[in-house]
Amino acid sequence: MIPALAHIGEAPPRRRGSVRSLARRTADAIGHAVAEVLENDELASGPGLMQALDPRFKLVSIVAFAVTASFVHSLPVLIALVLATMALAAASSVSVTSFAGKVWSSAGLFALLVCAPSATAWITPGAVLVPLGPASITAPGLLIASRLIARVIAGAGFGLLVIWTTRWTDVLRALSSLGVPDLVVATLAMTQKQIMSLLRTVENMHLARESRMLSTGSATENRGWVVDRMAFVARRSMKTADDVYDAMLARGYSGAMPSLIDLRATARDWAWMAAGVTACVLVLGIDRMVFPT
Amino acid sequence: MHIPDGYLGPQTYAVLDAAIVPLWMIAGARIRKTLKARQVPMMALAAAFSFVIMMFNVPVPGGSTGHAVGAVLIAILLGPWAAVVAVSIALVVQALVFADGGITAIGANVVNMAVIMPFVGFYLYRLVAGDRPGFGRRIVAAGIGAWVGIVAASIAAGVEFGLQPLLSHTASGQPLYAPYPLAVAVPAMALEHMLFFGPLEAVVTMGIVAVLARQDSALLDMKPAARPLRWLWAALAALILLTPIGVLATGTAWGEWSAAQLKGALGYVPAGLGRVGTLWTASMPAYMPPFIANPLVGYLVAAALGATLVVGVAWGLGKLLSRKDGSTPVDPPSARL
Repeated sequence: MIPALAHIGEAPPRRRGSVRSLARRTADAIGHAVAEVLENDELASGPGLMQALDPRFKLVSIVAFAVTASFVHSLPVLIALVLATMALAAASSVSVTSFAGKVWSSAGLFALLVCAPSATAWITPGAVLVPLGPASITAPGLLIASRLIARVIAGAGFGLLVIWTTRWTDVLRALSSLGVPDLVVATLAMTQKQIMSLLRTVENMHLARESRMLSTGSATENRGWVVDRMAFVARRSMKTADDVYDAMLARGYSGAMPSLIDLRATARDWAWMAAGVTACVLVLGIDRMVFPT
Repeated sequence: MHIPDGYLGPQTYAVLDAAIVPLWMIAGARIRKTLKARQVPMMALAAAFSFVIMMFNVPVPGGSTGHAVGAVLIAILLGPWAAVVAVSIALVVQALVFADGGITAIGANVVNMAVIMPFVGFYLYRLVAGDRPGFGRRIVAAGIGAWVGIVAASIAAGVEFGLQPLLSHTASGQPLYAPYPLAVAVPAMALEHMLFFGPLEAVVTMGIVAVLARQDSALLDMKPAARPLRWLWAALAALILLTPIGVLATGTAWGEWSAAQLKGALGYVPAGLGRVGTLWTASMPAYMPPFIANPLVGYLVAAALGATLVVGVAWGLGKLLSRKDGSTPVDPPSARL
């Protein structure tokens, strides 16, 4: 955690059994989202295997990994991919525990909930492993669910690793360098800045409401207030667009988005690419020849 | 509704990823015509708004909270093509910055939430609201558009999930990606959005439109209905032509069993169900008109008849609301995206 951001999303001391208000919960969630993005930038600027790579090669890698994982059918190879993402995290100075925790608590948990019924005899009949009546877990059902969860975790894990080890400004530079039109890159850049600005505004709205409220408020009151604030954000977004454009013109905007930093591929980047291509071919070869489905 | 990597097989995500490229090009061309150079901050702000609206927790009955997507609202504010770009950008940022939604599944997420949802919602809003709506009619139209828009997007996601066991499976028939067939995936996705997320989306959209109509009605300028309606008819025709996909599904949707099927599964028919189940006899049970033998043709005809009925009811509702409103225009019509 960045020391200056330590207060973000920090809840005040709570009595046991007390209920946090909607405003507090939303402000906390937004604060955590903002802090996470800023922490990612700090991690991406540090030392590590992935951090040292050219962002263009990382963007190509993320697509290559996701596509390769989508073609893998066997569970052992998918588990190997999950382990590979953890090894890459360790080599990139990323805490494996927090990395695995983040992947499991988001993509993994969701995948588990979604495909849990498919592991039962109700959806997938077959040899029963755990007898629980109509919800008995079957061998083919467990294989189907495990395969999906492993694939989701592998894809989400590698994506998260690239995000954690690449600054957003580098992602934009890489997109521009890979031929994405300047207009799109400029819009993406501005979107991220505006998201942070609007999130701050929304967080402050919720904190201000929290500080004025003596109780958590009824659901109807809260709903009315939330909708009113959403309308405020909509109006502010539309009005700010004109101001931003005027500011861009005042600074000499002509449609082009020049970058002051040139991206140059090094031997390390090409070695990474060669290793990545070899790994993809090996993974698919082993999947098809050693573990045919 | 953000689909992560791993749920869709290559045959599905490749098609959807390829499909969004021309859609983005058309959307870009449409926006460029109208917004000129001002498009960059406008699109960025709309995308940021689309992102941020998903961060608002809205209380729902039962003590829980949920969040809206806002795609139909953005379409109402900026037009459907601008909504395509704005929501697409928000989805790309979510995938690349917050790891929410997959890289290979970007096409599917864009098609569902940035194309189907705003287009269906916006044109239904236009159909019900008309060219010069009064306050009440505009709010009702926004609610109907938002509810139908998110339900349509969820059905599209359900179809994408449900096609996986048909498209990709092992030699023994085990699904390799999303494991549920169409008969389970579509009703599961549609029901939760019809009952939970749809009403939430409708309440939020209606509320924001109501506040804006009172405080800053210029943001809700309507555009002429002629061209949007052409698109509506084209989209409706395309959807009707796609309905035979439903024939691919085997079995009965979960929870939609007939008395005979229940008897086969349970060995008996619950007394209440047996009594109530015979109260009404549908004229076209199982979407099969009795006068057509071919199931594909029957499905198509049922879809066309059903669509005509729904459009007729929506049109009638619009007329009724228009009469009650006294046709008081809130703001003048003007051309938007």
